[in-house]
Amino acid sequence: MKQNKNTLKKIGGMLLFLFAIGFFILQIGYLFLHTTYQVEYTDDRLFYIINIFIMICLAAAILLLISITKKWKVIGGSIIILFIIVNVVLLFINNHQIKNIVRISPDFKHVLALKENTKTGKTVYYRTYYYILARPKESFPYKTTGEFKVKWLAKDIAAVTYKAADNTIHQYIGTYGDRGGGGSYYYVGPSLYGRWEGKDVEVISNQEGITVVHNGKYEEFDWDHIVQFGTLAVVLTKNNQAAWAITLNENFEVDSNSSVPPSGSISLYEATMAKNKPITLQYVH
Amino acid sequence: MRNFMIGTACLMMIGLIIAIIFYQNQNSKPILPLNEVLEEKAEQDEPKQQPLYAEHPIDYSLQNDQLNITFDKGKSWIPVPVEKDKLFNGEYSGNKQTLIEHSYILTKNRVAFLYSDGLSWEDQKIVLTYSLDQGKTWQDSIVAQPYPSIRFRKVAFLNDEFGYIIVSGDRTMSQEMSNVYLTKDGGKSWKETNNSNVTRLIADGGFVDENTGFLSFGTINPEKPQLYVTQDAGDTWQEASINIPAKYNEIFVIAETPVKEENHLALFINQGPNGDYKGGKVKGKFISNDNGVTWGFSTEVTPNETE
Repeated sequence: MKQNKNTLKKIGGMLLFLFAIGFFILQIGYLFLHTTYQVEYTDDRLFYIINIFIMICLAAAILLLISITKKWKVIGGSIIILFIIVNVVLLFINNHQIKNIVRISPDFKHVLALKENTKTGKTVYYRTYYYILARPKESFPYKTTGEFKVKWLAKDIAAVTYKAADNTIHQYIGTYGDRGGGGSYYYVGPSLYGRWEGKDVEVISNQEGITVVHNGKYEEFDWDHIVQFGTLAVVLTKNNQAAWAITLNENFEVDSNSSVPPSGSISLYEATMAKNKPITLQYVH
Repeated sequence: MRNFMIGTACLMMIGLIIAIIFYQNQNSKPILPLNEVLEEKAEQDEPKQQPLYAEHPIDYSLQNDQLNITFDKGKSWIPVPVEKDKLFNGEYSGNKQTLIEHSYILTKNRVAFLYSDGLSWEDQKIVLTYSLDQGKTWQDSIVAQPYPSIRFRKVAFLNDEFGYIIVSGDRTMSQEMSNVYLTKDGGKSWKETNNSNVTRLIADGGFVDENTGFLSFGTINPEKPQLYVTQDAGDTWQEASINIPAKYNEIFVIAETPVKEENHLALFINQGPNGDYKGGKVKGKFISNDNGVTWGFSTEVTPNETE
């Protein structure tokens, strides 16, 4: 019985020790990638969390595998606690300077990652790799104030509504997919040509631009005020602010032949900091 | 085993502490996407601004894509609050190294730049940006709005109060509209005169006093000068009668702006772009004793005599 217990302790200890070494290698490898290839953790806080994790694994492995005197237990324990405290403090300080916004998609396949430099108001959108690594892709065009509302409009479309420093509202759409087979780039606007209807709302897209009829109120946006994101969304802007986002739903199919009417539905999502839901629209003619 | 584990643990601890210090230093730098980093670098790598050079005590420079003026032969430069490209808006085919002739005034007491401004073709206006205190303060005066694509432009002042602007635009083939604007308050406000109703391309124009002004037409293959005169500050325009001796027919073809000379007006008529009489530079001098309505031939002049 005692022998069994000892074996379990040994196996557990060895596993923890290997975990610690594995994560240590990951951490050092990350630093190398970080300096050489501009790769960062999706959330900067991961660096400190991994440090703490390594220390806990290491401490547990030592306790399980080797016997040490009480004196050394106290010394070692103190060093580890101090190390953890330092990491926690740095984690909070760092997140105060660079605010991390991370949201995982409903199907857990994509990660939206934003980092806001709270001092300068500059927010950068990141492309993620293997969930935990990311590279900066694009800066937001306006200074942000730290208020972000993130909503996944589809499994591969995340809408970020945010307030700029001048109190105007803007939208950034992170897109992680395609509706055209991924073979070629296409323009979202022309693929929306026609009339779309949803509950209390209508969207008309034609040569001049896109008109949104919401509760009987007409809002017209010419093509100069329509900004495309990826190949899945457009944001309609007015008076230098975002008004609506239109996204292609997962059942939407892009056909290169413009005479073929579009199939599938689209979503209309109002740019507001208040809680709101996207409205689904169907093609009419 | 014991020594290996403790040794590894110590090494890892030291490694992590170094990693934290390294990470903190790295993370203090601003995060930017690669393309923006490259853009910033490209901006920093741009050649330094070229030194500006002045030839005259009062001069301008268009270097570094900015219009600057100097009143002390280039010791100090004052930027003009007009984008360089606007100064060349409309029909212009030069290299933007020098300002368009007559489109500016550069004197000790008045600096003024005439240009066309506007986002779209339909929404353009004619603006005069001027300063009366050597560039300390600037005013924008809107001369005409809207105004179609500008071609000919000229601004001049006869005294502190009275000035004129002649512009033409909307050219189609060899026809265009031309307009004359007058100010009596030093450039603050501009009032359009009646139109001469001539649609030929304008060659030159100007006023010799507050009432008497001229418009000269014909720039492409002209056969004879066509000069219009007003003696009532632009209320009415009539074609001046120029008596060209037969031997100068189809030689002196473009009238320049008349000038005051003693007790009469003098007018030089040049040979146009295709003239080849005596090398093409010789002009005919004409005199008017009735304030510009009729002109009689006086003499041939070589370019040096006219300058």
